[in-house]
Amino acid sequence: MGEVELSCRAYVKMYLHACLFPRCSINGLLLSSSSAGGAVCVTDCVPLLHSHLPLAPITQLALTQVDVWCSQTQQRIVGYYQANACVSDSSPTPCALKIADKIAEQFNNAVLLMIDGGKMSPDYRVPPIVMYERKDSRWTLKDKHTIMLRQWEETRAIASQMLESGDHMLLVDFDSHLDDITKDWTNQKLNNKIAELASPANGNV
Amino acid sequence: ACVVKERKMASVSELYDVGWEEMRDKLRKWREDNCRNSEQIVDVGEELISEHGSKLGDDIWIIYEQVMIAALDCSRDDLALTCLQELRKQFPDSHRVKRLSGMRLEALERYDEANKHYDAILQDDPTNTAARKRKISILKAQGKSAEAIRELNEYLEQFVGDQEAWHELSELYINEHDYGKAAFCLEELMMTNPHNHLYCEQYAEVKYTQGGLENLELSRKYFAQALRLNNRNMRALFGLYMSASHIAASPKVGAKVKKDNMKYAAWAATQINRAYKLAGRGTKENKCSVKAVEEMLESMQITMS
Repeated sequence: MGEVELSCRAYVKMYLHACLFPRCSINGLLLSSSSAGGAVCVTDCVPLLHSHLPLAPITQLALTQVDVWCSQTQQRIVGYYQANACVSDSSPTPCALKIADKIAEQFNNAVLLMIDGGKMSPDYRVPPIVMYERKDSRWTLKDKHTIMLRQWEETRAIASQMLESGDHMLLVDFDSHLDDITKDWTNQKLNNKIAELASPANGNV
Repeated sequence: ACVVKERKMASVSELYDVGWEEMRDKLRKWREDNCRNSEQIVDVGEELISEHGSKLGDDIWIIYEQVMIAALDCSRDDLALTCLQELRKQFPDSHRVKRLSGMRLEALERYDEANKHYDAILQDDPTNTAARKRKISILKAQGKSAEAIRELNEYLEQFVGDQEAWHELSELYINEHDYGKAAFCLEELMMTNPHNHLYCEQYAEVKYTQGGLENLELSRKYFAQALRLNNRNMRALFGLYMSASHIAASPKVGAKVKKDNMKYAAWAATQINRAYKLAGRGTKENKCSVKAVEEMLESMQITMS
């Protein structure tokens, strides 16, 4: 239906999340700091889990905490992302659909993003993502032309560079936060690094 | 998917100022703890073998095995093959080494050949559990969950004490949303490992997910049990708060149950707040989490009717 824009910050953190746990299924929430109406601008993401994705308690907890944080920081939850452990299958799992449904209850133009693990190696030049939107109560594949990643080459370069420098080890998801609550699941440190690496001319980070 | 990283040029011993003995001891610790920090194992192990191989004595063989498996995990087939060849030379008829050959084929996604290797081992030695488990891993890698579950169940009928297998089965069931059977596996694990707080907490999460008043009460009991075993388990603490809150809010419970659960929830909330205040002390960046938790607890609070 509508256009979706994915920011550098959101893409890089999702990518690093998948790289940090290459043998696990991982998921997270997509956030927007833009006002409603027009294109959906995904400006940030919160990495959530790398274990037991289908189980309810921690997911519910994370959704509530992120919701509260969003209302404090003028953001809203606009979507959900997931990468499956089994690289050959990037289709949404029942739990992905369930969580995306919940998000869609609060936000009409919610997006469901699946990371295609098979296309993440350096020789792939296109974003390894597949997006779905809600049409007639079903999640259907989005037209690729409605998905925008501004400065894609730069974003891709930043993601690769941070992976090589080992920056993915700095990423904190909600699971890791529960293992050590001094760790920050809003990932301010990583956000700052990404901003530093993005060119000053690009005000859209 | 495993992404191949470029190799750093500085040596491990230079970077971390360690001698070869410390590197060898670190590898042993990782073996004992069954860590899957494959990139680290490859970095340390590759250097240890190439620079100090002669000093390792008979330890070198188990290190070759450890490094080989880690190398497979990191798509370093060159290193894996080197290790494998050394092991083949030293132990030409070993089933253990044959299993490693099979694992390499798995990593290269040559599953049919890998299965042939494991079938050959099992023909020779039908009780070889390692080969059986590798065959199940192949089913999992191929996305054949139903078959993997069936094979693992058959395996467990014979090898009922295999903890790792019970846990693997519980994970498979959770992924298939078969929570009843996942709970059964976790019950087995709790029986044989009564002091393991993680099994209690996972069991509680499964019960909570199943839903319904009875399951919620069970989940609350097991979250509480997990906390008794480890009072720093935050998942258990949050789980206790959430399950008690839900029970108290249920229209189906009597006044006493409601009151008791509100008490449990209130206690859990205090502990959560305390833990976050402690965690947030001195760190600016954690203010978000502390405030968010306070508000979250407030928003989840049950009001007295």
